[in-house]
Amino acid sequence: MRACGRLASKIPAAVSSNSPRSEARASWRHAIGSRRRSGRAAIAASAIALVANAAPASAEWLLDANVEALFDSNLTRAPSGPDVRPDWAVALDASVGQFFALTGDDGLTVTLDLRGEAYDRYTGLNVAGVGGSMVYRHKLGLGWGAPWVAFVATGSYDDYRADVRTGARFDLRAEVGRRFTESFDAAVGVAYDRRFAPKGEPVVSGISGKVFELTGQSAYFRMGYAIDDAWLLGLSGSIRRGDVESTSEASLPVFLASSAIAEDPAFNQDELYAYRLRGTTSMLGAALSWALSDRSSLNFHYRYELTHSPYDLEYRSYNTGVAFAYRF
Amino acid sequence: MRNSLRSVVLAWGAWAGASFAQSAEIVASVVDQQGRPVADAVVVAVPAGGAVRAPAKAREDVVDQVDKEFVPRVQVVLVGTSVSFPNNDNVRHQVYSFSPAKRFELPLYAGVPAQPIVFDKPGVVVLGCNIHDWMVGFVYVSESPYFAKTGPDGKATLGDLPQRAYVVRVWHPQLEGPEDATRKPVDLGRARTAELRWTLELKPEARVRRAPVSDRIGRY
Repeated sequence: MRACGRLASKIPAAVSSNSPRSEARASWRHAIGSRRRSGRAAIAASAIALVANAAPASAEWLLDANVEALFDSNLTRAPSGPDVRPDWAVALDASVGQFFALTGDDGLTVTLDLRGEAYDRYTGLNVAGVGGSMVYRHKLGLGWGAPWVAFVATGSYDDYRADVRTGARFDLRAEVGRRFTESFDAAVGVAYDRRFAPKGEPVVSGISGKVFELTGQSAYFRMGYAIDDAWLLGLSGSIRRGDVESTSEASLPVFLASSAIAEDPAFNQDELYAYRLRGTTSMLGAALSWALSDRSSLNFHYRYELTHSPYDLEYRSYNTGVAFAYRF
Repeated sequence: MRNSLRSVVLAWGAWAGASFAQSAEIVASVVDQQGRPVADAVVVAVPAGGAVRAPAKAREDVVDQVDKEFVPRVQVVLVGTSVSFPNNDNVRHQVYSFSPAKRFELPLYAGVPAQPIVFDKPGVVVLGCNIHDWMVGFVYVSESPYFAKTGPDGKATLGDLPQRAYVVRVWHPQLEGPEDATRKPVDLGRARTAELRWTLELKPEARVRRAPVSDRIGRY
């Protein structure tokens, strides 16, 4: 393995040897992958049938679309300057679903979501995804000022051009919120996220190659303030503890902190490897939304992230973008 | 013969006098701080003595729900009016109000609710929908039968007013300050027409936003 040879020169020799059963594992993964693909197709078909057929008169169709231009300052989530890779992307989101008013206080929203991202330079990050979401919300009273609780489940299958990232993911959330005035609302919540990426090949014996199989728990808040009938200012923040992925050149601190290592072809550079580490990520974001009509808006956002990992590894990045949102 | 002629003349005089009295009107014009016409302002004329004749029969009116909005957004009714809230959307609504002038709730429904709501106390009733938080509407319950609502040109005409003195006031959902501060006396005892103009201080519209927000959560 070419990659293994290169990596071996930068990490301790004892852990740098070829995997003897890689072909058998690849064959097994292929078989499992085929079975999973048919399972996923069946689940997607069932979800579409559920959305299409379970539509009593009380259900409300939802159709949302977003087109966004975004910039990420550190797509590699690299700790040091030379490994940092910024890039622009265009993202398209579409979501179709139904809202069911189960009672005056209870609502269920089910959606089928499609997403695509295309990057300017690092096309290995280009992704097409299909997924769904289910949101149950219960209002603790009557009126817009009543507090509410919500449970959110989202899932998707994301097919990246760089296969190592391809896989399914899901996210479970529980949140409580309240609209304090017509202009101001806030919510806090906790989330559990899990991402699967079975295609990561190990490059170091005894260390998994599934770098993008990530699990995390987070707590978050968000609030919105309507400056007037057109402008809405949003603030959000989160703290997440769990697995993070970082792509950088091989180095001992990163290697020691890693629980998985794989080649990462997304950044067009052989010396870069993807690592899975434990870390705590703090995020703070601001957004400004300008209502063009009752059905459309222009949205600007800025998010800053800081991740701390063992061995004093620190990753910083920001993400900004402008999005046009339309609700049919 | 002379008596008969006198009777006819007196009767004609009484009829003509009555007709003459009923033709009085107030032409109201409402603009905001910038001089722009204000639509949906309610103009109410209350007889100066306070004596308001009750209507002969109960009135009925409608506040519709179309495309997840109340239509009209501002409805003016006389106290005692029954208002129906038909739902012309293909989704269900749950209409409610917490206003002191009328507290009520119409549990989740489609079509036309079985019973209308009787607005039996003067005041402003703010309407909401528990499903669609952005929906807001207003029922202005007037103690006087002499009222009108301004159109897009900011003008309203209160016609067929008995000739007498009135106190006229204006209300709008975004009115800054008390409605009583807009009171203007007008004497229609002699003049048949009075033109009144208000410049209202309006506050920004307080309404839950309906437009979508793009708020994708960051991914790991």
